[in-house]
Amino acid sequence: MLMEAKNQIKVMFLSLKYNIMKQMTNKVTFITNIVFMILNNASFIIQWLILFSLKEEIGGYTIKEVILLWGIAASVFGISHILFNKAFELSDLIINGKLDTFLVQPKNVFLSVITSDTNISAIGDLIYGYICLFLYGITIKNFILFTIFTITGGIILAAFVSIIGSISFWIVKGDILVDTLSNMMVSFATYPGTIFKNAIRVILYTVIPVGIANYMPVDTIINFSFMNFVYIIAFTIAIVILAFYIFNTGLKRYSSSNLMSSRI
Amino acid sequence: MNIIEVKNLNKQFKIKEKDKGIKGSIKSIIKPKYRTINAVNDISFTVEKGEILAFIGPNGAGKSTTIKMLTGILYPTSGEIIVNAINPSEERKKLAYKIGTVFGQKEQLWMHLTPYDNFKFFGAIYDIPKKEVEDTIEELTNTFELSEFINTPVRNLSLGQRIRCEIVASLIHKPEILFLDEPTIGLDPVVKENIRKLIKKMNKELGTTIFLTSHDIGDIEKLCKRVIIVNKGKIIMDDKMNNLKYHYLDKKIIEVKLKEKINLQNEDGISVIKDKGNNLKVEIDCKKKGVADVIKLLDTDKIIDINISNIPLEDIITSIYKEVKT
Repeated sequence: MLMEAKNQIKVMFLSLKYNIMKQMTNKVTFITNIVFMILNNASFIIQWLILFSLKEEIGGYTIKEVILLWGIAASVFGISHILFNKAFELSDLIINGKLDTFLVQPKNVFLSVITSDTNISAIGDLIYGYICLFLYGITIKNFILFTIFTITGGIILAAFVSIIGSISFWIVKGDILVDTLSNMMVSFATYPGTIFKNAIRVILYTVIPVGIANYMPVDTIINFSFMNFVYIIAFTIAIVILAFYIFNTGLKRYSSSNLMSSRI
Repeated sequence: MNIIEVKNLNKQFKIKEKDKGIKGSIKSIIKPKYRTINAVNDISFTVEKGEILAFIGPNGAGKSTTIKMLTGILYPTSGEIIVNAINPSEERKKLAYKIGTVFGQKEQLWMHLTPYDNFKFFGAIYDIPKKEVEDTIEELTNTFELSEFINTPVRNLSLGQRIRCEIVASLIHKPEILFLDEPTIGLDPVVKENIRKLIKKMNKELGTTIFLTSHDIGDIEKLCKRVIIVNKGKIIMDDKMNNLKYHYLDKKIIEVKLKEKINLQNEDGISVIKDKGNNLKVEIDCKKKGVADVIKLLDTDKIIDINISNIPLEDIITSIYKEVKT
């Protein structure tokens, strides 16, 4: 079991290495992709600067906390698109019967599929996340917590889109649902959680788990709470188990296709 | 010893049906109609270890669906499959170490990497120690003559070179069974011949069992000793290649060039295929008329040139496909 997990992780990192090697064949595109993603993210902070020139705080957040919020949002988005990029395309792979290659390999299908591609511009998001942490105020404790929450958030986001994507085993056109919900998850992540009240707040901590992937980590970095920390870790484990369960259940319904396709 | 055993295998697909036009679209949202199709309908067969088997049939016959069930890609609706003493739907991962697959229409290689890097990647997937992978790569590079382009990115290779690499990639873990789904699709005759030789060599040297589907009659004729023909999800023939030919050998084709025109239209057991000027092409039914009788009818003095041949395998198979359709 342990050996199997070790081999799976080895293949996952080999796949990551090969994907980065692929992107590096064009050096200019590789670097501009990353740099422009950082600039793109930075432009949003300007909007917040304007807002804060009109109002001192929004939902209890000052510009400092908003920068941290953006940092977590960017690094969570970044890490999940670096390690689990195909989770965002799972629906398309299921609908068009493109899982065959992974099904004939002696590895876990779900993990092999979602880790088989890397979005290079996401490296820019991850770097930007840490720049924000630096601007917020970096300490060893902050750095460690930020890194842990980047990983848990990345896993939660990937597991969340995988669960939605796996619905395509049962319904056609599940890809639209994935797009809508993952976009919602990303856009909610860039606003202070405290501005959402009542029903919306409940939704953001359950159906769309942006609360646990983003808001709680921000609160925990600002004001450490052990209970919050444990809750985030426990939720991450739970959603991962759920994602595996739903994917594997759906896989029995998988129907392959005879489309001409290639690994690009 | 049987390496593959299939018993009463079935696979059904549910397909949504829609009436014409926008009305039909709305109707299908409110009350969707489904139709069940039997892609594979109660088939049973066995394959012996070390055999090269052709599994053929027209498009939509259920060939790929069967291969996909044998390799663990699809779950069967009902029936039993045992491949190398493993049930594919229960122990997919365990089976994956024992089988190799090449789908001519689907690529499994990374296009931007060299074949060497690709093979190393597959080595990691199958948990093979580094030294062993390197030895296997060297061995297969020699067998499949890849040394010229082993360090060229796959996207710069020709189709023939690429298919050779695809086959090698699926052999890295030394599988006991190799599933080839149209491996020679789109290749020129020389490359096809080359690939066939390599498949034969592999079967002989490594003892690999080969399960082949192809629309290329050459592949089947030159490689396989046994053929299973499927149509509409059912097995319609499971026989030795020689028997298949023998079964239809009671028909011969005679082509003659004559000094003057002869009319054979009304002869029993002879059907004229082509009659143009002094050239004549007929098919004879040997049960009714012997070859010698036909030659006598033609009058040997008048013959300039003659060619007697069997019916091409392609025609035999086409007629088998058609027999079932009608």
